[in-house]
Amino acid sequence: MCAYMWAPPFSAVSTMELLSDQGLRVDGRRAHELRNVECRLGVFGRADGSAYLEQGNTRVLATVYGPHEARAAQRRHDVASINCQYRQAVFSGWERGRRAGGGGDRRAQELGALLQNTLESVVLVELYPRSQIDVYVQVLQADGGTYATCVNAATLALIDAGVALRDYVCACSASVLRDQPLVDLNSLETSGAPELTAALLPRSGRLPLLEMSQRFHVDKLGELLDVAETACRDVHTILNRAVRRHVSARSSEK
Amino acid sequence: MSQGSSAGSPGEAICVVPGDCLCAADDKHVAGKGTIERSGYIYSCLVGRVYTQQQEDKTELVEVRTGQEQNIVPTAGSVVTAKVTYVNPRFLRCEILCIGETVLKHKFRGMLKKEDVRATERDKVKMYECFRPGDVILAKVVSLGDALSYVLSTAENELGVALAHSEAGALMVPLSWAEMRCPLTQARELRKVAKIPPEDVAFRLARSADRRPRRRLSPGATGPLLSIQHTADQPEVQAVA
Repeated sequence: MCAYMWAPPFSAVSTMELLSDQGLRVDGRRAHELRNVECRLGVFGRADGSAYLEQGNTRVLATVYGPHEARAAQRRHDVASINCQYRQAVFSGWERGRRAGGGGDRRAQELGALLQNTLESVVLVELYPRSQIDVYVQVLQADGGTYATCVNAATLALIDAGVALRDYVCACSASVLRDQPLVDLNSLETSGAPELTAALLPRSGRLPLLEMSQRFHVDKLGELLDVAETACRDVHTILNRAVRRHVSARSSEK
Repeated sequence: MSQGSSAGSPGEAICVVPGDCLCAADDKHVAGKGTIERSGYIYSCLVGRVYTQQQEDKTELVEVRTGQEQNIVPTAGSVVTAKVTYVNPRFLRCEILCIGETVLKHKFRGMLKKEDVRATERDKVKMYECFRPGDVILAKVVSLGDALSYVLSTAENELGVALAHSEAGALMVPLSWAEMRCPLTQARELRKVAKIPPEDVAFRLARSADRRPRRRLSPGATGPLLSIQHTADQPEVQAVA
């Protein structure tokens, strides 16, 4: 295994160590287990909606502004346009300032566009013609599965903003290691195994996003998708519980 | 989860999240605000509480209310309150501040063309004799307009300038449908004045009891003041201001 800059300095991580003979992963989880999820809604007063989400050591902040009047270039007469910006803080990775670039970063732009596609499938854009919804996601700490965490955080922020949504959109990463499917990879596992990120609309079962970092064997893909879908449903359960808790806390304040 | 549960009776309110199924979309239930109808069922698309409302045609309107401010956009026919930002001989531009009674969080841009200022003698309109920058106007949305702004119209007696400041900076008093007077300098200025129907005379008189000059009044508060305009050109008008 080559140790490239994303991997920690001590690693010549072998596939063997990523999954022990007892079926435990480097951080002690079983193959199908998610990392610990913590989230808060409405963290900023200024934004129309905001959310902070932790999945293990991956920490993401998402803010939503709008729907507001769109800029002329972005305006679409029949639907709302969604403007997404993905940013990774310079201090978020293993090495300061490397790879984790600002807005000019190619990868950040790509992920922003990908996030926009994902959200367009879930926001009821036809309810807000000629307006624009800005979604800004900021990765504060990157420990694998950043994109999936960003999708989840953006969903929470949109819900907090009161934007009409078809459903939740929940995302999770998955991989396969020694014939064993893994979910919710951390950065060690990301560097040691190919990664698949799937986003799911849990109620309708639609998959608005499927991204692979490397090639998988086609025989594995079906199984991997099933595992990723189950993980997304688990994420949905957790997010749903958090949203309901937030709403009941908000209504009891009044 | 409230999946599959029916919408509550008016007394109770179930908490729902986006994607929750509320009820079947049959001939008794109609999808209202905050909901979406899909493949024969009504689903929630907001976080909030479910309310049902009996309608005249014996159907129930199913709604999800968030309890927060709703994001509304101007539609054709809605009356808006706007502040004039720019005037030229052909049109003016303004910022839409309120739609009906709702104060907007985000401003929208509006445009009022010379032809839409009044219903009669439309070709003789001079923009500078009807509006000045800074005036607060009531207008009706004609159409969604071009890509840049909503197209407005003031071609009704009830529409036009609601609040205007004179060159001396004082809030002016309407004299007729076309004139306003500055209470400080007595100078007359031309405006296309809105005839605002009297709604809360008592409220307005109570506010004017203390004589502190008020530069910024909400448009509703000036209603009765402006309603005096058509009673004529009398000194009492000034006393009220």
